Amino acid sequence: METSSIQEPFDLIRLSLSERVFVKLRGDRELTGILHAYDGHMNLIMSDVEETIMIVDEATTAVNVRDDDHEISRLIIEQVAKRKVEMLFVRGDGVILVSHRNSVLCALPLKSKQVSPPSRT
Amino acid sequence: MDDDQEQTPPPPTQPTHTGSPTDFLKGVVGKRVIVRLTSGVDYRGVLSCLDGYMNIALEQTEEHVNGVVTNRYGDAFIRGNNVLYISAAEAL
Amino acid sequence: MASQILPLELIDKCIGSRIWVVMKNDREFTGTLLGFDDFVNMVLEDVTEYETTAEGRTKKSLAQTLLNGNNICMVGTFLLLPYFALMPRQLIPGSDGPDASS
Repeated sequence: METSSIQEPFDLIRLSLSERVFVKLRGDRELTGILHAYDGHMNLIMSDVEETIMIVDEATTAVNVRDDDHEISRLIIEQVAKRKVEMLFVRGDGVILVSHRNSVLCALPLKSKQVSPPSRT
Repeated sequence: MDDDQEQTPPPPTQPTHTGSPTDFLKGVVGKRVIVRLTSGVDYRGVLSCLDGYMNIALEQTEEHVNGVVTNRYGDAFIRGNNVLYISAAEAL
Repeated sequence: MASQILPLELIDKCIGSRIWVVMKNDREFTGTLLGFDDFVNMVLEDVTEYETTAEGRTKKSLAQTLLNGNNICMVGTFLLLPYFALMPRQLIPGSDGPDASS
């Protein structure tokens, strides 16, 4: 990505048009899909979308805080729902982050992403 | 997460004393920063640019949840309404 | 009403002083105020972030920081009045911050 071509944050989105992007949404949701359009609210039009919904059970998480048990961690991880949507409008106020899906750097598998025990130091 | 009143207009550009948010942001572009969201998630990376809504473009971004790296992004756009603070992670 | 002090004037007088910022959620910050804007976005220096959770209070040190005004609830100073001494957990005048008395 040519850094010099980015003058404002929205340029990053503009350069991602027609590309596969990763979108992090409020409510523990993530999307990957082809970005077709956006506006100043970050409303998005995406196609060929896969939505991932992380179902984080509060009770299970709480147990996980107390003892860093692998079994429990796995339990949380597997509560993931996925679905595919052909064409999607995303309302901008739910958007947290937009990035390139095909970036070499963002290759961490989904499984390990959710381990992160909420340890308090 | 309460997401009620968004800061609609971009911040005024009247010249103020040094130390204003605008001055801080001018000084911090191109530097390593920590962006904390209201959810408590941290993004660490190089601040490429931002706008009046505190929308942020970050390079070499690492996502930290409770001190653990949970994701990496080459470039990331962060929508400003989620931002709690932007903190310099290197000398200004 | 012309002589009435505007809230933002009061904050302006805090520039250069250590202040204490309470957010809408269970988060607090202390730091030296360098500047702010009309949204009460604030630039702070030598910042400590406090987060109160079920497991207790966590503390984190930060360098120069722009705090988004959107989530700010209250702003206090460390110098003002014995009034603050009435809040035992939080502030005692001249103390180092919310955790000084804990």
